Amino acid sequence: MADILVLVEHRRGEIRDITFEMLMKGKTLSEKTGKPLTALLLGNDVGEMAEGLKDLANRVVLIEDPKLENFNSEIYQRVLGNVIEQEKPFLLFIGHTAFGMDLAPTLATQMKAPLATDCTDVMVDDDQIRAIRQTYGGKLNVEVRLKPAPCSMVTVRPASVSVEDYSLAGEITRVTSPLTEEIASKRFLEYVEAAAGEVDITQANILVSVGRGIKDPENIPMVQELAKSLGATLSCSRPVVDKKWLPKDRQVGTSGKTVKPTVYIAIGISGAFQHIAGMKGSGTIIAINRDPKAPIFNVAHYGIVGDLLKIVPALKGKISEAFA
Amino acid sequence: MEIIVCIKRVPETADADIVIDRTGRDIEKGGLVFDINEWDNYAVEEAILLKEKYGGSVTVISMGPEEVNETLRRALAMGADQAIRLTDPAFEGSDGYTIARVLSQAIKPLSYDLILTGVQTEDDGYGQVGPTLAEILGIRHAAVVNQIEGIESGRTRVHRELEGGLEEILDLELPAVLTIQTGINEPRYVSIMGIRKVAKKEIKVLGLRELAMKPEEAGEPGSLTVVEMVSFPPVGEGAQILEGTMDEISDKVVTILKEKGGVA
Amino acid sequence: MEVQKEGFLQKYDLYGCFQCGKCTGGCPVSLKSKLNIRKLMIEALLRDNLGNVVQREELWDCTTCKTCTLRCPRGLEPMDLLIGMRTLLVEEGHIPKTAIEALESTYKYGNPWGAAKNKRSEWANELGLKVLPQGDQASNLYFVCCTAAYDTRVQNVARSLVQCLRQIGYDFAILGNDETCCGSEIRRMGEEGLFEMLMDQNIESFNKYDFRSIVTTSPHCYNTIKNDYAQDGLDVRHYTQVLAEAVEEKNPFSGEVRKVITYHDPCFLGKQNGIFDEPRYILQSIAGVTFIDFDRSREKSLCCEGGGGRMWVEATDQGPRLAEIRVQDAVEMGAEILATACPFCLLTLEDAVKTTGNEERLRVMDISEILVEAL
Ligand SMILES: Cc1cc2nc3c(=O)[nH]c(=O)nc-3n(C[C@H](O)[C@H](O)[C@H](O)COP(=O)(O)OP(=O)(O)OC[C@H]3O[C@@H](n4cnc5c(N)ncnc54)[C@H](O)[C@@H]3O)c2cc1C
Repeated sequence: MADILVLVEHRRGEIRDITFEMLMKGKTLSEKTGKPLTALLLGNDVGEMAEGLKDLANRVVLIEDPKLENFNSEIYQRVLGNVIEQEKPFLLFIGHTAFGMDLAPTLATQMKAPLATDCTDVMVDDDQIRAIRQTYGGKLNVEVRLKPAPCSMVTVRPASVSVEDYSLAGEITRVTSPLTEEIASKRFLEYVEAAAGEVDITQANILVSVGRGIKDPENIPMVQELAKSLGATLSCSRPVVDKKWLPKDRQVGTSGKTVKPTVYIAIGISGAFQHIAGMKGSGTIIAINRDPKAPIFNVAHYGIVGDLLKIVPALKGKISEAFA
Repeated sequence: MEIIVCIKRVPETADADIVIDRTGRDIEKGGLVFDINEWDNYAVEEAILLKEKYGGSVTVISMGPEEVNETLRRALAMGADQAIRLTDPAFEGSDGYTIARVLSQAIKPLSYDLILTGVQTEDDGYGQVGPTLAEILGIRHAAVVNQIEGIESGRTRVHRELEGGLEEILDLELPAVLTIQTGINEPRYVSIMGIRKVAKKEIKVLGLRELAMKPEEAGEPGSLTVVEMVSFPPVGEGAQILEGTMDEISDKVVTILKEKGGVA
Repeated sequence: MEVQKEGFLQKYDLYGCFQCGKCTGGCPVSLKSKLNIRKLMIEALLRDNLGNVVQREELWDCTTCKTCTLRCPRGLEPMDLLIGMRTLLVEEGHIPKTAIEALESTYKYGNPWGAAKNKRSEWANELGLKVLPQGDQASNLYFVCCTAAYDTRVQNVARSLVQCLRQIGYDFAILGNDETCCGSEIRRMGEEGLFEMLMDQNIESFNKYDFRSIVTTSPHCYNTIKNDYAQDGLDVRHYTQVLAEAVEEKNPFSGEVRKVITYHDPCFLGKQNGIFDEPRYILQSIAGVTFIDFDRSREKSLCCEGGGGRMWVEATDQGPRLAEIRVQDAVEMGAEILATACPFCLLTLEDAVKTTGNEERLRVMDISEILVEAL
C-alpha cells in the first residue's frame, strides 16, 4: 500500500497541533509522490476525533481499545508493530514530542526502520527520503539520507510546518485492536499538573525574557529593573529554571508556557526550538544576543547584537526616560 | 542497585562562532571548549544520588577518542565507580541507532538494574539513543524523565515531562533505560583535587573487536541514516539588526516599543 | 563527611591558640554574621567530628581580608584554617551554587565570569598593545586580571591604566588570550586544585618570555602572584607602586582635578601587603585635589566584602553591607570622589553608591581613571 502514515497525537481528548502539522507535511508529499495519506488514530472512544480528521487525509485508520485510553509507548508499539506489518507504509510520521520521543526510537528499532528525529523538513525524490534536522542548538542544518528500507520513520519538530486549509474527504477504516493480554511492564498511572505559580506570564502584555546568557543570577535584578521600567513581566528560558534562578512558572517554551504577548524581548536566549515554539506567536520580538548567528534572530523582528550586560543598562536608562 | 550511565563529551557552541569543516558534513571542532553534555551531567548526578540511597555501583560509559577520558574522570570524581570508553576508527559516522548498538554491545555482558542517559545531546540532538538502547537490550524505558520517585521490588515510579508543564507518572519494570531531563537535580561540583584523586583509576577501553562487532555493523555502513551535508540555516526574513551607538540603539528600541508595544 | 583531623590540627597549629579573641574582634563580618573565627579555632580543636564544624553556611561569609591572621599575637593563621575548611567542602562538592558557576567557568574558560577565552583581550582591541605570544617584546608584562578584561565597568580601568603607563613611558606587553585567571579568589574559595592548575599555567606563560617585572591592575592578582606563587626571580608590582615611582621622579600628570577625594584601602593591597602610601602619594600629587582620609584607614581600613569569593557568593548575614557604610562615611566627610585601586572594591563600592542613593553626591573611581582626568 506504501502510504504516508501520520500517527495522530492526542492527549486528554484533544488532538495536538503537531498532528495537523504532520498531516500538512504528509499532504504535500502525498501530492508529490502520489502515495495516499493516512492518519492513524489509536485511542479509546475516539470515534469523534476520527470524524474530525476525515477531511485531512485520504483515510483514517482507527483502532479503539480501552487499553489505549492513555498514551503508553509499550502498548502503542505493540499495536503499531502490527499495523506496519499489515499496512507496509512507505513513511511514518510521529511528532518529536514527549510522546514521540518515548515511542519512535523503540518502534523504529523493532521494525528495523531508518529513523531521522527532530526533522524540520522532509523531501522525497524517486522514493529516496531525505530529511533536514538541526544540530548544535539550531545553529546548523543537517541533511540526512535515509537508507532504503520497506518502511522509514521521521519525527517532526513541533511548529516547523505552517498549516493551511485543505480537504481530502477521506474515509474511516476501523481495525480491530490486536491487544489481547494486559501489558504490565510499563503502566501509566496518572497526570500531574504543574502547580500554579504566583505570576501568570501568559497574561502579560510585554515579556522581558532572560536566558542562560545572563551567566550569573546576580545579573537578574538588572533585567528585572528593565522589565519594571516597561511595566513588563519577567520570564525566562529553561536553563534559568533548571539552575533555580527563577521559578518554573516563569519558563517559556514547550515544557513551560506558551505565550503571545504584544512584545517579547529575549535577552541572552539562543533560540532552541523548544523555546521558540513557546513564543513565536508574539506580536513583536526583539532579541539581544552577542552571537549574530544565534537562531533566535531567525524569529525575531528586531535584533541587537552585543553584550547584554552593556545593552540592558543602556536600554533601561532610555526606557525609564521615555516612559517615565 | 547496579546503574550504568551513558555520557558524551560535546563542544559548547551556544556562544561560539561555528565553521563548517572541509568535509562539509560537520563543523570545525578545534578551538571549541568541550564539556560533558548538559543532560548527561544530570544523569550522572541522578545515578549517584540513587547509589547513595540504595547502595550498589555506578558505571559510566562513553564513546570517543582519548580526550573523553577527561569527561569519564569527571564522572568518576562525582562518585561513579567504573568507567569504560568505547573507541574505534570504525565508529566514525555512526547514527543514533548505531551509537545505541555499540553501547549495547558494551552493556550486554554487564549486570545492571538501571541505565541512564541524557534526553538528548547538545550537538546532534537525536533524542533517540536511550530508548533505542532499551529496545536492543530488550528492556523497558521511559524518555524525558524529570523525577524518579523510588525503586521497589524490581519496579520504579518515574515522572515523565510532557508539554506545557504537565507530567505523567509511570510505573516501570526493571531493568530499564531512563532518559534524564535537565533540572531533575542539582549536579554537584567536581573539584580538581577530586579529579586528581581518580587520575589513576583504570578506564577500560574497548574497540570493535572487544565488542564482537564487524566493521560493517558500525559507523556509516552500520547506520540507517547518513549525513549528506551541513549548512547554516537560511535566515529567512530574519531580524532587522539595530545598529549604531548604544544610545542610538536604545532610542530605536524606544521608538519600536512606542509603535508596537502598547507602552504608554 | 569524614575528615582527617590530626593533619588539620598540625597544619593550622590549633594547639597554639589561647582564645584571646583578637581575631574575632578584628573581623569585619563578625558583627553581622554567625561567623566567629575564634570559636572556629577551638571547635576545630575540640570537636571529634570536623565534618559538622565545616558544614556551615556562614563559612562563605568570610572575605579573606586577613585581619584575623594579621592580628593574631601567636602568629597563627585563622584565615587559612577557614580556607582549609572550605577546601574540604569543595572536595565534597558542598558549595554555594553561584560559586559552582564561577569555578566551572574558571576551569573551562580561565575566568570566573563565564566569558569566552578567545575574547579575553577584546577590551584592548583598538589600543595597539604589544602582545607577547604574538612575538612582541617588552621590558614588562602587564597582567590584566579577569575582571578588568571582561567586566564592562572595569575595562575602563584597564584602558585608563594603559594610558597612564604610556604617559610615564613604561614599556609593557600583555599575554593576550593566553593570560588565565590568577587563581587568588579560586584558592580562597577553597578550590586548591584548580588554583594550582591556574598557577602552573600562568608560570608556564611567564617562563616563555623575557621581561623584568609584572605589573597588575588588581591587588588580588598582585598578592597571589607575589605571595602564593612565590617564584624566585619573579618581580611583581601593583600599578600604584609603578605610577607612584614615576610621579615622584617627574610628574607627567600635570592637569588639574578640583575635587575632594578620599581613598579606600583595598585589603589585599594595604593590610595584606603594606602598600598604603603609594596610592595616597599619587592622589595628593594631582593638582587641585583636596585629599581627606577615612577615619578607618590603612591597617584599620574597613573591608568592602568583595574578596574571598564573595563576588560570587551571597552572604548569609542580614546586616548592612560594609561597602554601604563606607560610602555613607565618604559622603558625610564631604568627599566627591571615592578613590580605590582594586576592581572588586570599585564594583562593590559603586554598587553601594547606587543602593544608598548617593549617585548625585559621590563618584567611585579607580586611581588610574583619576589620573587620566589629570592628563
Ligand atoms: C524535552 C525538552 C523540553 C525543553 N523545554 C524547554 C522550554 O520549555 N523552554 C526552553 O527555553 N528550553 C527548553 N528546553 C531546552 C532547550 O533545548 C535549550 O537547551 C534551552 O532553551 C537553551 O536556553 P538558552 O537559550 O537560555 O541557553 P543557551 O542555549 O546556552 O544560550 C545562551 C545564549 O546567550 C548568549 N549570550 C551569552 N552571553 C551573552 C552576553 N553577555 N550578551 C548577550 N548574549 C549572550 C549566547 O550567545 C547564547 O546564544 C527543552 C529541552 C528538551 C529536551
